[in-house]
Amino acid sequence: MKQQAITVTVLNRYARQALQQVDLLQNLVVCGEIAGFNRHYKSGHCYFALRDAQSSIKAVMFARQASLLGFQPQEGMEVLVYGHADLFERDGAFQLYVDYMRPSGMGSLQKAFDQLKAKLEQEGLFDPAHKKRLPPMPQTIGIVTSKTGAALQDILNVMGRRWPGVKLILAPVSVQGQAAEEEIVKGIRALEQDGRSQIILVARGGGSREDLWVFNSERIARAAYACTVPLVSAVGHEIDYTILDYVADLRAPTPSAAAELCVPDREEWLRKMQDFRNNMQNSIQKKLELCYNKMKELSPESAREMNRARLEQRQEQLKQLGLLAGERIERIVTEKESQLAAAAAVAHSLNPYQVLARGYAMVETDGSVAQVEKLEPGQTVELIGHKARAWCRVEEVKKGGVSDEATQIL
Amino acid sequence: MKQPKSFEEGIARLKESLDVLGQENTSLNDSVKIYAEAAELIRYCHDCLEKHKLQVEEIDLQLARLGGQEE
Repeated sequence: MKQQAITVTVLNRYARQALQQVDLLQNLVVCGEIAGFNRHYKSGHCYFALRDAQSSIKAVMFARQASLLGFQPQEGMEVLVYGHADLFERDGAFQLYVDYMRPSGMGSLQKAFDQLKAKLEQEGLFDPAHKKRLPPMPQTIGIVTSKTGAALQDILNVMGRRWPGVKLILAPVSVQGQAAEEEIVKGIRALEQDGRSQIILVARGGGSREDLWVFNSERIARAAYACTVPLVSAVGHEIDYTILDYVADLRAPTPSAAAELCVPDREEWLRKMQDFRNNMQNSIQKKLELCYNKMKELSPESAREMNRARLEQRQEQLKQLGLLAGERIERIVTEKESQLAAAAAVAHSLNPYQVLARGYAMVETDGSVAQVEKLEPGQTVELIGHKARAWCRVEEVKKGGVSDEATQIL
Repeated sequence: MKQPKSFEEGIARLKESLDVLGQENTSLNDSVKIYAEAAELIRYCHDCLEKHKLQVEEIDLQLARLGGQEE
């Protein structure tokens, strides 16, 4: 019996129809590991393979469903896939059509997280030396977050209260779902290129770990690392750590905390302004006092006062000198007086007239004392006694006087 | 006085003024001038803190020119 040939198209249609009869294939939950995940950049459809230790099946997730994904599918991630299996007639490919997908338990998410973290850390993306300091008083801050999210509201509230002078530039993005990764990367780059922002804040309010999963994206991590503007991450709550937190220049525990960390406190600065004002008052007051004192020093009153003081001082000096001089003079006079008395006593003892009183006489010729051995006979001499004078004529001069006699007596 | 461009600049200039004002060798004439300027700066900075309202602007990601085509 000759068998009728059929076309490939017909074959595939048969197979497809046969498969569609199997209810089991229509409503599936399949668990497996993602391999070769690829999202078509134009259509947004996602293509990948789901596999386990022995087998593998192609899987497709259309853009509409993919946009609802709460996490970024990663190579090797274990997932639960919801959908149906069917044949793609053109290729004769048996594949899974995925409506929804979620990581199967935290174990696989954690594994993917740890792997990426280790890889980026080794590449130096978390290097503290690469981290940039935040400007203390930014005038413009860029924010990458959802326009409708609670995170933005929290940030606006805190910044409005703390530092209303700051200008905010919002890059509105989805913070979950398939488009989130792309939009967040674009948001960071757009704010950086805009050039006005001095800080870029990437924020998202709290959510499940899966909700926050997009912030573990390698592409976002690399965009954050490459960003030349200091970048602050503020994702979820205090306990949530994402890859972005490690790469960011500063990690804030929550969006509100990020807002606090990014801007100074107005109240504090108002107090500082008051300090400045007081400080300034004190300075000028002191300066005025200083000048006033200087001026007072130079006034006529003070000059007179100073003169009087000086005068009194001089007077006192003079008095002291006078006393001293008096003392000295007195001492000198006393000394000289006693010297004089001594000299007078000596003089007195040597006075020849004193001798005359004892009965002796003195011979004078021509008004001066004459020596007897020089007298000449016939010469007139004056004999002076204690109470009288006599004029005498020398009869004879004979050698040998009293001194010879005294010598003889002795 | 030249108006500062920002609160930060105002504060920086204020600090400078106070330093000069505190120096002993600053003349009274200069001190008075600096004092007047510092008072202006304080008023400016105070106004910055009191009067400003938060400004929020949005950038359109669709229109943003982005370097390089994404992979």
